[in-house]
Amino acid sequence: MTQTEPDVTCMAFRNLPPGELEPDKIHRFVLGEDAEPRVLDAAAAAAELADPFATLLLLQGTFPRTAGEVLTSLDNVVKEDSPLRARMFFLLGEGSQIPFTPETASVNRNLRFVVATVGDRGPDLLLSSFTPDEGDVELMAWDEVTGGFNYYRTVGGNSAWVFAGNSRHALQEPTEGKGPFESHPSGNFLMKELRAPWLHWHSPDAPITPSVFAENNPLRNHPWFLQLDRLGAVNCEAKAARPSIVRWTEARFDAALANAGTIERPARIIHQIVDTPTVNLITSHTEGATVETTGTIDLPQTFFIDSEALTERLGLPAPPTFTVSSNLYAQSLRTFGVTLTDGNGFARPGDTHFAFAIPERAFEDQAVLNEAIKRGVLTERFAACLLMTDFPNPVFSTRRAQLLRHVPASASIVNGASSFSEDMANTIVAAAEGAGAESPEGEFAARWGVGDAWKEQFGRLLNDYYAAVTSHLGSQEGFDAYFRLAESRRERVRQMPIFESPLLFAETNIDPAVRVMRSDGTVQED
Amino acid sequence: MPVLPRFDTPASLPELGEEDRASWSLTVAGIFAGLTPSFPQIYDPTVADTPVDASTVDVLWTAFPARLLREASSQTERWERADDRKEQDEYCEWVVERRPDNKITRVIFTTEVPEYFEQVAASNEELLLELYHSMIGPDVQRGDLFEGATYNPSNERNTTTAGRIAHLAHPNNTLGAAVDLVANATVPRERNGVAITTKQALANCAGLGDAFRNSDPQIAAVVNGAARAGNELTLQDPLGLYIDNIRTSDLTTPDDTPAASFWTVERGKPGHILRARFEVPEDRGYTVSDIQADGRPIEFGAQLADRLTIRITAVVKPAGHTPEVKQCDG
Repeated sequence: MTQTEPDVTCMAFRNLPPGELEPDKIHRFVLGEDAEPRVLDAAAAAAELADPFATLLLLQGTFPRTAGEVLTSLDNVVKEDSPLRARMFFLLGEGSQIPFTPETASVNRNLRFVVATVGDRGPDLLLSSFTPDEGDVELMAWDEVTGGFNYYRTVGGNSAWVFAGNSRHALQEPTEGKGPFESHPSGNFLMKELRAPWLHWHSPDAPITPSVFAENNPLRNHPWFLQLDRLGAVNCEAKAARPSIVRWTEARFDAALANAGTIERPARIIHQIVDTPTVNLITSHTEGATVETTGTIDLPQTFFIDSEALTERLGLPAPPTFTVSSNLYAQSLRTFGVTLTDGNGFARPGDTHFAFAIPERAFEDQAVLNEAIKRGVLTERFAACLLMTDFPNPVFSTRRAQLLRHVPASASIVNGASSFSEDMANTIVAAAEGAGAESPEGEFAARWGVGDAWKEQFGRLLNDYYAAVTSHLGSQEGFDAYFRLAESRRERVRQMPIFESPLLFAETNIDPAVRVMRSDGTVQED
Repeated sequence: MPVLPRFDTPASLPELGEEDRASWSLTVAGIFAGLTPSFPQIYDPTVADTPVDASTVDVLWTAFPARLLREASSQTERWERADDRKEQDEYCEWVVERRPDNKITRVIFTTEVPEYFEQVAASNEELLLELYHSMIGPDVQRGDLFEGATYNPSNERNTTTAGRIAHLAHPNNTLGAAVDLVANATVPRERNGVAITTKQALANCAGLGDAFRNSDPQIAAVVNGAARAGNELTLQDPLGLYIDNIRTSDLTTPDDTPAASFWTVERGKPGHILRARFEVPEDRGYTVSDIQADGRPIEFGAQLADRLTIRITAVVKPAGHTPEVKQCDG
């Protein structure tokens, strides 16, 4: 970045000069639209912000300084039975399973609280804070008028609140990918570890116990810690993350189709289907500490195939349970020097708390796929052909992403049906004639050419692939290749804004490189 | 709290007479008596007191058998497998009733332990038959339940997957197994000088059964953590495994009726639910299978088990034990 380029990352908020924000004022700083924070007067704020946080507190002149004050301020203005008073407290942290000892005292465990209100369609309010009684609060609140979540934050202990954008800003220029939408690329609540066993989250699978805090750390006895949701991540996933993502996805499609059924820029939808704008993290169900003794380690299916879309949504054959023996896994850990480290003195040989942490296609992108099919934007056959292009690489497929070049400028939906799938398929097939059979377009064209027999044909391809993978998992050489592939995908995540701590993954001695899975179950190393 | 005069019936069920209630208490005490000599950090609350500074810890887990999360290849497969009673090993079992068109009309969940029914059978056969008639149907005969003079908890009427259920029947799902687990989990473990504290590692190290279940490893880890600190433990009276809650917020009904209204507690009391059913009243004109769970129709009882939380409550009594640390088995 040159001196003249403005900082449009999340850091733009933290790096604001002292005095830039006026206490007890609402500021608008939507990166891409606002060159600097500007104070919103009452009328401007009321015109743009209709979520309960704004209407009940900020627009009434109440400016809490801390996350705790947000909750107590709400308590003062809503009735006892208000859903805004029904709250769930969650805790997570990349170092949350590292007990506090003299040797680990300096480890930054990156522990933070998430508080979500309870609602029939998911929470109206979500906030995140490292310490309930200090500043730097991040808050999302659902706006019934405009649809989507409004993103707010404070900076330091200042009582100024910054409106950083609405979910819709994530999807359009010039705000797309900027500010909070770096790590919330589609305007959703972010729960990276969205599925069991929820690596890094307090849950029955891996409780975060008081031992993670120093004896004199007041958080040990803080009410938020003492009233953590008893099921933790189980409920965060089911009652907060998934419903809030579905809610925004539905609202987004409602808005997109409101224009007489014409979706402008459908590439934004296809982007979430063929590319990897963000990821969720998934692990084995096996604890990292037991891999040498447990016999077999289950591996996440979605490392090998996008079974959430291809099997659960599109009805193609399910992959088998992919497993590897303890001996092979343990040898890979030794071969690759796998170590959990904070890069600052803490180093523990072995894997993360649950083994084999890898990125999988994000639930928010699966939700878009589901909604696009449900609304008639995409046919199942077309969606399957897109996803079966380079299917052995469910994330970070540069081949599949190249299909984005062929997205029509708009899509029209009439009575729940559209010619969009056919139009885009024809465009790709036409492009394949010049690009060759080995090109992504050529691969897509072959899939599309199967016609109505796509389920049977794709099923055969998948079953052959599953058999090949299963075979490779039986040898050290085969599994080592998958371990290297996994590390390449982790390395991609390390370059993403959602990478907030070196303890997210274990480190290895594997050279950074692009690695690609082939349909015969072997791994290509560039 | 002074010494407990006797163990109450599960969820304080009122159906036993005084004499039989005393017998039940002796049954439970017998379970403890077999364990307390070997495990000094568990105690029988009818023998030793529970002081006011003792605390309670709820241990919660999901009713769905966690083993299947790593064994089944698809959602449909794991749900289908889990509806088989032989797979239901998380101290909760359920049965599914269907119409001829295969749509689900009712799912019944229970956490009632077989020991209680054995006690009833031993002291009051008439009451046992009454319970079976109310839970399963009026056609149940004595001969269906007994082998000679002995009650068979795994009788055919109670082990069906389709139909009705009386009580837990999986071999792992007994009160004795739960108390035995608590006792064994009080022993601190280590391997190569490193303390073993996490769920799966502890289960493997101490031979506490399948490390990939939800329930036992979770109970063991909580108990072990408290025991390491020198405390003594017991289970809260009334001893039992309880249905804590069912999550219905992500269930969508055809007429927008809150799905929670279809949940009926059949046995137990608030906070101590032993048996409940999920059923749509006939006058609604639709079935359980017409309800969407996370966007998919309910085709299996296991989809509800995914949303069901089971609980056991431990009592932690401050004590000054310095427990002997044992090496891992094997």
